[in-house]
Amino acid sequence: MELLEFARGPGMFWSVVIFVIGVLWRLVGIVLLRSKADLSEPRNPAAWRGLRNIVMRSWPRREFLGGTVFNETMGYVFHVGFLVALFFFLPHLLFFRDVSQGLIGTSFGQVFGFSWPALPGGMIYFFSAVSVAALIAVLIHRLISPVKRLISNFDDYFSWFVTIAPLVTGMLAYSHVGAPYQTLLALHLLSVNLLLVWFPFGKLMHSFTIFATRSVQGMQFERKGASL
Amino acid sequence: MSNVNEQHPLETDQPRFSVKKPEVRFDRQGEMPDEQRVRKAMQNFVKDFGRVAALYMESCIHCGMCAEACHFYVTTEDPKYTPIWKLEPFKQAYKREYGPFAFVYRLLNLKHRVTVEQLQEWQELIYDSCTVCGRCSLMCPVSIDIASLVSQARHGMFQAGLVPHELWAVAERAEREGSPLGATPKVFRDRCEWLADDHEVDIPVDKEKADVLCAMSSIEIMKFPGSIVATAKIMKHLGVDWTFRSDGYEATNFGLLSGNSAWQKDMSMKLINAAVACGARVLILPECGHAYGALRWMGANLYGKPLPFRVMHIAEFLAEAVKGGHLKLKKLDKSATFHDPCQIVRRGGVIEAPRVVLEALGVELREMFPAKGTNWCCGGGGGVVTIHRADGLRYKTFQLKMKQIEETGAELPVTTCSNCRQTFDDGQAHFKWDKTMNSLLEMVADNLDE
Amino acid sequence: MNPSSTVLDHLRSRGLTRRGFLQYCASLAALMGLHHSSVNAMAEALGKARRPSVIWLPFQECTGCTESITRSGSPSIETLIFDLVSLDYQETLMAAAGHAAEEARAQAMKENFGKYLLLVDGSVATGENGAYSCIAGVSNLEALKEAAKGAAAVIAVGSCAAFGGLPKARPNPTAAVAVSEVVKDKPVVNIPGCPPIPEVMTGVLAHFLTFGRLPELDPLGRPKAFYGETIHDRCYRRPFYDQGKFAKTFDDEGARSGWCLYELGCKGPVTYNACATVKWNAGTSFPIQSGHGCLGCSEPDFWDLGGFYKPLSTVNWGSAKTLGAAAAAGVALGAAAAAAARKRQDDFIKGD
Repeated sequence: MELLEFARGPGMFWSVVIFVIGVLWRLVGIVLLRSKADLSEPRNPAAWRGLRNIVMRSWPRREFLGGTVFNETMGYVFHVGFLVALFFFLPHLLFFRDVSQGLIGTSFGQVFGFSWPALPGGMIYFFSAVSVAALIAVLIHRLISPVKRLISNFDDYFSWFVTIAPLVTGMLAYSHVGAPYQTLLALHLLSVNLLLVWFPFGKLMHSFTIFATRSVQGMQFERKGASL
Repeated sequence: MSNVNEQHPLETDQPRFSVKKPEVRFDRQGEMPDEQRVRKAMQNFVKDFGRVAALYMESCIHCGMCAEACHFYVTTEDPKYTPIWKLEPFKQAYKREYGPFAFVYRLLNLKHRVTVEQLQEWQELIYDSCTVCGRCSLMCPVSIDIASLVSQARHGMFQAGLVPHELWAVAERAEREGSPLGATPKVFRDRCEWLADDHEVDIPVDKEKADVLCAMSSIEIMKFPGSIVATAKIMKHLGVDWTFRSDGYEATNFGLLSGNSAWQKDMSMKLINAAVACGARVLILPECGHAYGALRWMGANLYGKPLPFRVMHIAEFLAEAVKGGHLKLKKLDKSATFHDPCQIVRRGGVIEAPRVVLEALGVELREMFPAKGTNWCCGGGGGVVTIHRADGLRYKTFQLKMKQIEETGAELPVTTCSNCRQTFDDGQAHFKWDKTMNSLLEMVADNLDE
Repeated sequence: MNPSSTVLDHLRSRGLTRRGFLQYCASLAALMGLHHSSVNAMAEALGKARRPSVIWLPFQECTGCTESITRSGSPSIETLIFDLVSLDYQETLMAAAGHAAEEARAQAMKENFGKYLLLVDGSVATGENGAYSCIAGVSNLEALKEAAKGAAAVIAVGSCAAFGGLPKARPNPTAAVAVSEVVKDKPVVNIPGCPPIPEVMTGVLAHFLTFGRLPELDPLGRPKAFYGETIHDRCYRRPFYDQGKFAKTFDDEGARSGWCLYELGCKGPVTYNACATVKWNAGTSFPIQSGHGCLGCSEPDFWDLGGFYKPLSTVNWGSAKTLGAAAAAGVALGAAAAAAARKRQDDFIKGD
């Protein structure tokens, strides 16, 4: 059980430390770069209205559907599946509660004044399975689509791996398949450690930067009255 | 770098500016070692790099969806035309030289140094196969403004002397003579005088003071002089105090298109200074796409402070005149479809104005699909139409445009960009198509209700 | 006791009717998850079976397992089991003591060499050559090796014998190990639990007698019939887990309403045992039913798995200070990277 002790003790701790350092390093490294004010006269002074792009861009325009339906659908499916498993599985909620208890002495729920119920394990299992299936589909698509194959690099494949690994190991741990529960749980936690360590350095960072890119393009374009 | 490359003699008597015997090739300007070329490319690429560009560079998830937005990819299905792929060496350079982890990338050599061979290979992708139309920027689920990054990449390519030859030569000539097509101030003055006589219309040039300064693109001056006449007629109709200025008339900006930011500034400053000199309240830009973006959205930033006058596209000006009830037009009993010039509509924000004018003309407007912000590019923008070796590719994309227009069943295709118009004329000749692109400006001038 | 007589002979001599015997077989079959059609075959086999000699060795143990088996609830099961087998050595239960007891053991082992069943409760101390635990001057380690030689099979009763149990808990001063760590050349059945459910112990013995072989085992050597599912899988409070209804303390409304005890540290989801189905004290109840979470006592190293009242998901860390330092380091690195990028930009502009 040393593996489990490591995975949820020092392993988890140091991977969170690396995660925090890496994410801030990358974000601050971008934010502190030079930025020039735009002196042109805005067509629409209420550029903040462009912030709607954060939400709007999540849904493709009708004109762009067609060649992207597969991407859009599978993208949605695996993201939703992953997020449901992450945020609605009871042990995860308790994990977050424990982490927050350890960090700030109380649960985040108390601080932010909201909490949400967990979903039944079977449902989480279903969402995870669907997410895994969609991830496998997008990997196959990445391998056979000439466009994706051309533009892909190590980051794309490795980020895929660290995303699917916690889902698969989580499902194994839930169903106790292949090894004793503690071993499976250790593997699950180790896969999460790996995800956290890789997160800041690869494309998974889009989880944060996507809000910035959508805001920036939204406000810049809104200022010009250009299409969004 | 000012001498024109003798290997590629220019063909000046053709309708379109080009070099003789175009062939697939990599163009280089100037003499310098490869290493210096690469260094210059990188230096100038990151020179005016900032927070926004860096954010975009950091955020791509390689989903490949931008390919579906690009007319070059859609019509060829060649993956190298995937918009974000066109930036690959620049992404590589950014990560190695400038990004937050640049130090680590260099230390461990995780991102390799960009080579001159790579840059040569990418010359086609950065110039021939990108019209900077920005359709991909709207498709991108992360919202990366890919088009703006291509413009940045061109800065590096230009300083490294890796620009397609015609585009380089056109830009160089524009910088030297004041016009890419030989419309020097003298030629311009002569033309205006001759057109004024011919059409019996007053075309004021170099008035000391005027409320409104108008500009023209060389394409119009040399190929569509009707635009000059149309502008004059409309200004007279509206009773505007206006003028052309021979010290600032050229609206095209090949400094911008080729990637020379110093030239871009020179070209824009001529117009700005001319407008300031005559005390104009309004500077009206002609039917030219990139000219609008260059001055409307970049002008003040080059000037260093807000411009002391208003910058308008002629279609905006016409739409305001329609709304104000000043512009009286005869009704045109025809159906029309409007081709949206990328830099004016999608990226410029002048979306409804041309439609307001068309409505005033009484035409039955049959929109294409897609239209407005997501309309397909004509395929000739961003300097592409000057690059002769890209003709084959451009004609492929043009078929998309023809199909779109045919499907509307409209009698008159109309646009408000002379560069689009030039691309349409060329495509029309190539495909022996029966549709001729019309200028919104000229349609208005031809239907003034005097 | 005459080891050569059959089980049925023996039972008859004690006044059990055939009908009573069949009932007993039926209850055993149900316990082991066998089809009811096997009851007759079972009765036949059991009836003809010779009562095997059983030697029960106690090592580092608390006698809880023996207590448990004697409290077996269903009618006289313990009696029946002691009738089914010839229990030749069991320190707690046997009348003999001292040298007489040891002699009985030696004799039984000799007479039934290769045929007797060896039951062990308690873990085996291996530190200092096993000196930590001795009986009659012989270390448990030696006694086990000796007794295992002539055993047909070894049954490790209780978590200590099966997995090392409490004696093995950190820091394990006696270097205690499980029986299966010592006995490598004989089949070992683990019947973990602290203590194991009495009916499970008797059930395994009955299976051996009925079929002449050991029941099907899982990777940890446990009979699948009793350890095939988790407590959680069969828990009557499972619907509350699925609905996300949890008791937060032992005296809140949730606890009174019988909601799931997961957040109070119940180990049911990872514990394989039959408590939720067979239950205890003749099917009366089991820990969760009495309002307390499962401790996971039948799982390896249950004592060292991080606290009985901590939920399974518990993480064992939390240092705001270190994370604060990490955040500061991240910001500093980011600022340094941005400064470096700005400087490179300046150098480019100057050097142009």
